[in-house]
Amino acid sequence: MSLLQEEREIILNNEYVDNFDFAEVEEFVKNASKDLFISYNFAKSNKMLVQPRGGFPTYNKMFALYEFFVDANVDVLPCTIDSNTRLNDYATSKKMLRLSEENEVDMLNGYPLVNHGYRTTRKMMTHFNKPISLRHGTPDARLLIETAIASGIFEIEGGPITYLLPYSKNFPLDKAFLYWKYVERVCAKYSGLNEPINRESFGPLTATLVPPCITIVIQLLEMLLSLEEGVKSFSVSFSQSGSMNQDIVMGAVIKKLAKHYAKEINCEDAKVHLVYHQWMGAFPQNKDFAEQLINMSTVIASMVGADKIITKTREEASGIPTKEANAKTVANTQYTLRILNGLPNIVDEEEEEILTEEVMSIMEAVFNDPADTLWRKVFNSIKNGIIDVPFSPHIINNNEMITIRDANKNIRIIKRGKVPISDRCYEYEKSKCDLTKDTTSIVNDIIHDIGIMQ
Amino acid sequence: MKVVTGVVGNDIHVVANRLIELSLKARGFEVFNLGVNTYLEEFIDAVIETDADILLISSLNGEAEGWCREVNFLKNKYGKLLDDVVFMIGGNLVVGTGSAEDIVPRFKNYGFDLVFHQVDLNTGLDELEKFMSERK
Repeated sequence: MSLLQEEREIILNNEYVDNFDFAEVEEFVKNASKDLFISYNFAKSNKMLVQPRGGFPTYNKMFALYEFFVDANVDVLPCTIDSNTRLNDYATSKKMLRLSEENEVDMLNGYPLVNHGYRTTRKMMTHFNKPISLRHGTPDARLLIETAIASGIFEIEGGPITYLLPYSKNFPLDKAFLYWKYVERVCAKYSGLNEPINRESFGPLTATLVPPCITIVIQLLEMLLSLEEGVKSFSVSFSQSGSMNQDIVMGAVIKKLAKHYAKEINCEDAKVHLVYHQWMGAFPQNKDFAEQLINMSTVIASMVGADKIITKTREEASGIPTKEANAKTVANTQYTLRILNGLPNIVDEEEEEILTEEVMSIMEAVFNDPADTLWRKVFNSIKNGIIDVPFSPHIINNNEMITIRDANKNIRIIKRGKVPISDRCYEYEKSKCDLTKDTTSIVNDIIHDIGIMQ
Repeated sequence: MKVVTGVVGNDIHVVANRLIELSLKARGFEVFNLGVNTYLEEFIDAVIETDADILLISSLNGEAEGWCREVNFLKNKYGKLLDDVVFMIGGNLVVGTGSAEDIVPRFKNYGFDLVFHQVDLNTGLDELEKFMSERK
């Protein structure tokens, strides 16, 4: 038995999981409808795929949510997991699921997949014949991913950096890398049986003034960590930054560099897709304005050339959106996409050149770390501040980088910390901002910039 | 002057916490930032370890109400070690809505010297500086 298989047997031998029948699961994946694979949908579709967010505790409510989405012409169904499962606390999920089933109140903020089990969940996931995307936020997702694939969920979101630095204060980063390595290997293993399992990174990070170079570096590194384990279909992503021009530049650079670095590790045969998140920051309280902002996101996603868009709703500022609101935003986004044709191709050569140089110098510094494997190089780079995510709550993050918006709403680095961007790029970034201000005014600017849409 | 700061409870909202650190440093304070997701006992330990003059707790999601009732209990437990420390709290201090007229005296009762509910960051820090200079 291979080491991986031994590890799998141990992980799946968990008291909260139904008995895993590997042979049966393999047979299921082999014969599963191709429509369930987002990788297949990316290849055959000539439009941007639309995917909302959403997850409910009980089977019935989840099923009803999917019915709403299908009526609204959704392309990809979401399966958002509850927060107890994300922390591997299956006992609490089990209790809360029971309470949700017995009463008419939802006691969980997502679908407790492990507790429902794959035999039950598969009935729902295969019923609609649409691809499903697993959204969670779990540092140790090994059991969850096994259950997801066995259920017919063939896209897995997340990664060791993007599901940790924005969401945790002290979960050990080195453990996250090793647990995600397991996930990549399992995804790669199943990919040979039918269409490839798609992995997707989570580009929005902390959704607060993250500069494009940091987002892109982290996307590229999670992509490389995935491809080197044998994954053949990967989505890089980022969210609306607040500057249309910066988004378009970011889209161009991330596409170009994803291809470049995949080739460097001889993985150019892997398919890389681009996902765009509608505005992830603080939403305007005014719901009409929120709707305008969402519509603007859809236009930008078209200009960026995204393969998939993940939607937001006009309810975001006031609480958790209903299934009706979620379905409505899907229908609206589809409508906007249908009427958007023949957009001009905007190129900003100077910004592209600066951003490319910034990303490549950080990547070079990561590769130059003396550790023997890529994940250790990345781990060291986060530890010593070569990668620094503004506003990450995690204790390992360096937190020296400071960013603000310039007059055109572009996110600019005014303090680079230990992030190795060249003096030329650093001077360019700073030249766009008014740095004569004192720290108190700069802090006031940052407070204002976080809620750019107000 | 030394300040220990951080967000109390299981709250992971970090943005204001970073801005507080920046602002305090800009005003010349020496800052020990424990970050988000910090328990009351950890704050007290840090104040004693660093011999801090000020403990500045912040809270966004309303957890402060549940966590800060024990401030006086801990003050009694540590006795003289905390006598000269100024206890300050700010942010969004209760779950749901509440008015400052109710909340400020309640938190002063819990053991805080300065309480700011939904007050602008710079106003809060101006008040802190004023309080410290008048105390001398």
